[in-house]
Amino acid sequence: MDTAAGDAGVAERVRVGLLADLRLDEVAVVEARGRRIAVFHTEEGVFGVDDRCTHQDAALSDGFLEGCLIECPLHASFFDLRTGEPSGPPATRAVATYPVVDEDGELFVELPVPADGGVS
Amino acid sequence: MTQTIEPREFASDQAGSSSPTDDVFAPTLAGEAYTSQDIFEQELVRIFEREWVYVGRAEEIARKGDFLRADVGRESVIVVRGRDEQIRGFLNVCRHRGARLCLEQRGNAGNAIRCPYHAWSYRLDGGLITAPNWEAMASIDKAERSLVEVRTEVWNGMVWVNLDDDAGPLADYLQPQVAHRLGDNLEVLERYDIANLVVGKRVVYEVEANWKLIFENFQECYHCGTIHPELVEAIPAFQASDTSANGYDTDGYYFAEGREGFTLSGKRSLPRLPGLREDDDLKYFGMTLRSNAFLSLTPDHVITHKFEPISATRTRAVCDWLVPAEVAASEDHDLSDAVALFDAVNKQDFDAAEWCQPNMSSRVYRDGGVLAPAEKLQISLWYDWYRDLMARES
Repeated sequence: MDTAAGDAGVAERVRVGLLADLRLDEVAVVEARGRRIAVFHTEEGVFGVDDRCTHQDAALSDGFLEGCLIECPLHASFFDLRTGEPSGPPATRAVATYPVVDEDGELFVELPVPADGGVS
Repeated sequence: MTQTIEPREFASDQAGSSSPTDDVFAPTLAGEAYTSQDIFEQELVRIFEREWVYVGRAEEIARKGDFLRADVGRESVIVVRGRDEQIRGFLNVCRHRGARLCLEQRGNAGNAIRCPYHAWSYRLDGGLITAPNWEAMASIDKAERSLVEVRTEVWNGMVWVNLDDDAGPLADYLQPQVAHRLGDNLEVLERYDIANLVVGKRVVYEVEANWKLIFENFQECYHCGTIHPELVEAIPAFQASDTSANGYDTDGYYFAEGREGFTLSGKRSLPRLPGLREDDDLKYFGMTLRSNAFLSLTPDHVITHKFEPISATRTRAVCDWLVPAEVAASEDHDLSDAVALFDAVNKQDFDAAEWCQPNMSSRVYRDGGVLAPAEKLQISLWYDWYRDLMARES
């Protein structure tokens, strides 16, 4: 995995791959800072979320994408990829979302600056 | 189940062997074949876990994720419409701790079959997707823990399951049975276009009788003149004493003069099925489809019966009246006159089976009864199928 550390205060960027390789309604998973991030290509754009349901530790990348909603494979809670908000129980907490930027057809996930200000 | 049932326990040459009327009658099965729970359980293993079993209509599971559940032999089976539209059957058993996956008789599983116990989740094609705490077991081979698929095929819109992986194709199983009934008129069946009919009416009957009494009954019309006044009024040939004694009339059985439909009133209440020809009109064909179905063809509707053996002394019968989808949906068409006729026939037949069932344990019936000349041919052929399966090693 390629990581491109930006200037201080700017999010760390993790390369996902080429947009052309991530077809509509498909998902790619990248790892950064010990977490897995699922990057979904929807009709409304490309969205990154933690690849883990907030209810139990299922991979959302194993779930079912319907528009901008990802259905957890285990208990069928849906998460809105735009906001991270769950549709209803059993999940009650939002899943973390990450901006995905498209630079000349190349996709990068932007991770927030860690609380300690460093880059892991 | 390892105990072997010797064929002679059911064999024809045992019952009434010293009777001077042997050349007139043929023996039935012995009484215990209709009462013994042990024999019933062997039937589940040797017949219903080996033969094709009819479980329901394809249009009942029309949408992705739709499923229906059926008891087949000793197993619970689910038949599911996949995301790729294909119908597949699985044993209804979670590979984790064995819980039943689908608890309802039918429904929609959504995008995945999820175990209600620990939420192990399977794709609609049976593959294991994931399970809680997956990270601790991500190294496993998912294929080894995927649902166990069972043979499932669709014939004329009828979904059949076979628990024997070595069984031949469904069409090869059913075709000779249809040929036995229709002879050279085999293409008649295609004109009914049964695949494109839908259930217009379903009636479920809980019958306090062994499934074999019901099957025997459907294969003789010797009783028709006595218990089916409406049916023989509709089709006079059914009270002819030799009907079916020499095999079926492969041209079908014509309605009585002046009757326009296979209805209680005799009036035509539904449009003729679109694929039928003029000379297909005004007649009826009925046939058994082993292991657990009957099929009846009329000019404007098709009737299927499905039988679910519940115990040695109980059987559930599900009768469907099939019509084109536009007829089922239209308020201009009323199925009730058609339903009334065979519903009456069903009740009469199932009553008769219940008259017999309690006496299957009588000392009088220990060695069984007899098949009258008009009953011998068809039922004896069916006994051959039954005995052959029961005599085979499991």
